[in-house]
Amino acid sequence: MSFIKDHIERATLDRRNFLFASAAGLGGLAAGGMFGPGMARAALTDPTIAWSYRNRTNPYWNEIVSGGEAFVQSLGMPADAMTHLINEGSSEKSLADVKALLAKTGGNLALAIDTNDAPNCRPVVEAVAAAGGYVSTIWNKTDDLHPRDFGDNYVSHMTWSDLKPAEETARILLEAMGGKGGVVHLGGIASNNPAIERLQGLRNALVDYPDVELLAAEPADWDTQKANQVMSAFLTRFGDEITGVHCANDTIAYGVLEALRAEGIEDMPIVSYDGNPQAVQLVAEKKILATVFTNPYWGGGISAALAYYAATGAFKPSEEPDEHREFYGPSILVTPEDAAEFKATYLDSAPDYDWTDFWGPTNGGITY
Amino acid sequence: MTGVLNRDALLKWAPLIVLLLLMLFFTVLEPRFFSVRNFARIAISAAPALMVAVGVTFIILMGSIDLSMEGAVSVCAVVFAFVFLWLGGSLGGWGWLAMPLTLVVGAVMGLVNGAIHVRLRIPSFMASLALGFVGTGLAMLMTGGDRIRIEDETFRALLTTRWFNFPVMIYVAGLFLLLGWFIQSRTALGRNFYAVGGGEDLAHGSGLDVARVRIMGFMLAGVFYAVGALMAVARIGIAETATGTGFMFTSITSVVVGGTALWGGTGGVWNTLVGVLIVNVIGNGMVVIGLPGYVQDGVLGLLVIVAVVLSTDRSAVSVVK
Repeated sequence: MSFIKDHIERATLDRRNFLFASAAGLGGLAAGGMFGPGMARAALTDPTIAWSYRNRTNPYWNEIVSGGEAFVQSLGMPADAMTHLINEGSSEKSLADVKALLAKTGGNLALAIDTNDAPNCRPVVEAVAAAGGYVSTIWNKTDDLHPRDFGDNYVSHMTWSDLKPAEETARILLEAMGGKGGVVHLGGIASNNPAIERLQGLRNALVDYPDVELLAAEPADWDTQKANQVMSAFLTRFGDEITGVHCANDTIAYGVLEALRAEGIEDMPIVSYDGNPQAVQLVAEKKILATVFTNPYWGGGISAALAYYAATGAFKPSEEPDEHREFYGPSILVTPEDAAEFKATYLDSAPDYDWTDFWGPTNGGITY
Repeated sequence: MTGVLNRDALLKWAPLIVLLLLMLFFTVLEPRFFSVRNFARIAISAAPALMVAVGVTFIILMGSIDLSMEGAVSVCAVVFAFVFLWLGGSLGGWGWLAMPLTLVVGAVMGLVNGAIHVRLRIPSFMASLALGFVGTGLAMLMTGGDRIRIEDETFRALLTTRWFNFPVMIYVAGLFLLLGWFIQSRTALGRNFYAVGGGEDLAHGSGLDVARVRIMGFMLAGVFYAVGALMAVARIGIAETATGTGFMFTSITSVVVGGTALWGGTGGVWNTLVGVLIVNVIGNGMVVIGLPGYVQDGVLGLLVIVAVVLSTDRSAVSVVK
């Protein structure tokens, strides 16, 4: 069992070093007033760039990671120069992988990560900061954890608020339904934050449409086949009462469309979310009335870029305002009118992003 | 016990009784459940799962287990989509060739699976689980994470064209179910599955080439996974790495709930049909009566335990591990 003992000792040591480092950082901050900036750890040269995420099977994470690779290529390196840490939905593995990589690189690391769940964000960030690496996080973070509390090492946190965009798509749907009838919602995994926000967006919009009834909201787990089955069962339960469908994401919408096609229903108003290429195509064909693009490709690239450029000292996170350290990612509404133009701009070829324009497309600072 | 209520009779009819009770239960709570249109919906959702479950039935009859179906279905679906589109993307043209080819791919995956299990002497659950992951990875590698849409109207007619209120794919699934029954009861291979499952030592001692039967069983299962993959693609018009997701739970649950014993030797494809219908009636009925999804999983879990308790002859099993 000695490895457990070793691990505990190392973890304790890490924590102590972190406390020392924080103290030194505070001292440095105070001293910085006298001797100017740059007292803290010197910038890194040629840090390892890594992305830690769930897995690549999921189209969303595939986009995120593709963006990360595009950024690495923009530095003149091959795409496989980026290290992939795949957590397969395990927070423990996520943290263990990060610690292993920190040990291997001696802290010479620029890390972009989704820590899988919010509580896991703190130990990850602490480990990276203690080792002198730089980290940008997306999606998962507890509200009491802030990049500004870690000097430069916790570079940034980006998340997306789906409440407003989901409400906008809901309004488009409810208008298309003529402001009356019945709507069903097929949601994501019930406990997922985006699933909760997207349903709430629909509820918020419904307040202004008293003649529309929310017939049912059922989780479809972001899954096409599950959505297909749930939609068929909805058709049994409500039949013609359903005059509109609000989907929590595009993969769900595909399943809904096919369940309707099996019944010969062609003109049901449907809205979805995520802006996947095929969904945008369906929006252009008016089979889906609206979807929302969150640009995961850009999000994946810019998170890696933020960590990298902070690590190399190209910019100093601690000198940036709060809204540059915790901010909302982009969201773009796609409707039939602008689907073709949107497709040409964002999807047909990945735009040549300026990976040093960190905050241009973002949606403002996070409010708590 | 003798008469109609003996253990064998109970075992034989319990799954069907459960199915009928479930249907009665849902119909009482929501009469709309009991309609031809809804039965068609249940049949559509059950068809791909039925094919996969029939495939794994043969394996479970032998007392082995196959957990590779998610990877196998994904690979078959993706290979089918690529070849179908490469051959012109229409059943009217050369696209139909993609279908037999997909069955061959399924058989080859089953062959590899069986060979690893038998030749390397690795427990079937481990060999097949590992191969399932390989399959998922392979599908991922081929698609790069993208979805492939199959829009060909002729192929999608499997879903959109209806005979007597049921889509064509239901009849195709019925044909393959009959094929499964034929193999199980009218061929030497099918009888050998029961022989191996009922007592492998005895079968071996009687001169049966058990290794060969096992490998053939895994190949046969692979072919049925491929049919399941084709139906899954026909149902939603999309082939992707996630096409196989969920088939492991659904098919194993269906086989067990249908009354095929995990110890091997008893059960068969008709049990599997009833099992698949039970699982899908629950999935459909829960939504139809408006119960939340997590209740559905809980009910299925309970049913699995009840089914295993019923189908296990504890006097014949000395050790449970």
